[in-house]
Amino acid sequence: MATVECRDIRKVYGALEVMRDFNLKVDDHEFVVFLGPSGCGKSTMLRMIAGLEEITGGELLIGGQRMNDRDPGDRGIAMVFQNYALYPHMSVRENITFGLERSGVPKAEIEGRLAPVVESLGLGVYLSRKPTELSGGQQQRVAIARAMIKTPEVFLFDEPLSNLDAKLRGSLRVEIARLHRSLKTTSIYVTHDQLEAMTLADRIVLMKDGRIEQMGTPEEIYQTPATLFAAGFIGTPNMNFIPMEVSDGVLGADEIRIPACLALDTGPVTVGIRPGAFRVTGEPGAFRGRVERNEFHGETRLVTVRNGSHEINVALPASTVVREGEVIALDVAVEDLHLFEPQSGKRIQHVQ
Amino acid sequence: MRRGRSLPYVFLGPTLGILVVLALVPTIYAINISLQNRTLSQPTADYVWFANYVALFSDARFLNALWVSFKWEIISVTATMVTGLALGIAMFEAASPRVRNILCVLFIIPVLLPRVCAAFVWKFSFHPLYGALTWPVREITGSTPDILSTPLGALLAVAFVDVWQWGLFFAVIILKLLESLPPQPLEAARIDRASRFGVHRFVTLPMLKAPLISLLLVKAIESLRSFDLVYVMTRGGPGISTETLDMYAYSQGFIESGKISYASSMAVIMMVLTIVTFTFTWKRLNR
Repeated sequence: MATVECRDIRKVYGALEVMRDFNLKVDDHEFVVFLGPSGCGKSTMLRMIAGLEEITGGELLIGGQRMNDRDPGDRGIAMVFQNYALYPHMSVRENITFGLERSGVPKAEIEGRLAPVVESLGLGVYLSRKPTELSGGQQQRVAIARAMIKTPEVFLFDEPLSNLDAKLRGSLRVEIARLHRSLKTTSIYVTHDQLEAMTLADRIVLMKDGRIEQMGTPEEIYQTPATLFAAGFIGTPNMNFIPMEVSDGVLGADEIRIPACLALDTGPVTVGIRPGAFRVTGEPGAFRGRVERNEFHGETRLVTVRNGSHEINVALPASTVVREGEVIALDVAVEDLHLFEPQSGKRIQHVQ
Repeated sequence: MRRGRSLPYVFLGPTLGILVVLALVPTIYAINISLQNRTLSQPTADYVWFANYVALFSDARFLNALWVSFKWEIISVTATMVTGLALGIAMFEAASPRVRNILCVLFIIPVLLPRVCAAFVWKFSFHPLYGALTWPVREITGSTPDILSTPLGALLAVAFVDVWQWGLFFAVIILKLLESLPPQPLEAARIDRASRFGVHRFVTLPMLKAPLISLLLVKAIESLRSFDLVYVMTRGGPGISTETLDMYAYSQGFIESGKISYASSMAVIMMVLTIVTFTFTWKRLNR
């Protein structure tokens, strides 16, 4: 068990700086998820922690010890790759035990450690098979077993579920969560899938262009996104953004009027509202518009409402009856408004 | 459906036809001659059936040639594979992409040279009085080493030229094979505490087993036809110490006695041995 600490980490490819001033402290037992769009540097950061990528500047500490120049094998880490990275010529058993054999663990002990790992991942019947004879989900289980048996200080996951189909992804995600609950090993998990991030993470590190955009528990990031990017990236369907003007304590844009909850300076502001925050109302409401699209999603229906140049997505309970072309009035609670400065994209804090 | 079935024959037919004419006809002709007592000095000949084959096995020079051929196969194939693997892995580990490209071009040049040319070039470098390779020894010790005149030296010198041509070429192929491998299993092996050498020993080379076996067999077949190299560099000498089977068959058939039937029977034995050995090796290695 160990902490991971990144101090001012910097990464340069040739003349291109892909990451700078990356500071992060991962606590013991913590499950941290690096989340971000592709190209944001999250995999690069993970590979630097693993030692597969050179660290250009800054310091990496695992368990309080400087790791910058250590070999990947000597960092006390185990890694699960997106494309499984199993040794194709070895059987499942050999794949799992290879690392222990390389580090000179006696045969009897390997056997003893193999059994519980194999059992917890349900791999018993596949031990003598080759990786190519297994499905993607089974291969990734083998890769997880290979990482687990080493009892590492830190688990690193590099988009482990991205190559699997949706259903398997769900079940293996649950399995990873279960394993973390029982093993409590410090884990860093890279993904671009916000659902994986929200369900697995103790803490999400949201990244963009090689920088940390926001860091916090899934609840914090969902409920109080710090920037426009964080607000737009997290949450499905996406948050609505409406550019508005503040005057006399009221937010307005064309025919839309929302009473502001806090003392705001007069001027432009970007208002973010999650689709689920709207309620249909009989009153005139904050927002009136014509229903343009009405998609049935099972539990909910996603309705697109247009008012002039403003188009917003609203998630309503599936039982709500709306017809396309109908004009409906919507209301939104003051605490569900997310206000951002249009220029900087920074959140304007609610003053309660 | 019927058209789909016949299509392979349409494509294979002409090729196989040419092969039959070019390969099978001479082979059958050679087998036929090997059963006679034909020589180059007389127009007539009788069937003596297996008398040539029986005579061969009491011919010490033939048995020597068989042994030399065997040694030659083992030395040249092993040395080529070891050189290819060592240089290929060294380039993969240590060279930048730019250096790799330059080295690859340099390493391919020797194999482009016709073997007779390579043999002449190196024969001259080994020359005791004028050779470039023997020059440092001449300068330092004043002696004139004649490598090609000692039995072991001659065999190793010829093998060296063979490796110079094929070992370097194989290094390029092996480097390209290594580059074609997915990088993640190699990274996983590094995390699994495999040393740099261990990564190749346990992961990359086993992953490349099939192409490496193919390379091995290609080289084994290629080594069998190194008549030109031996002919130019040593003519089988000193004495008969580098006289391979094809060299001996050639001198029996054309140089010394013109015993064309006797030489053919040697060729037939060589063919049978080759087919048996290769079928066996192929099956065993590919298991």
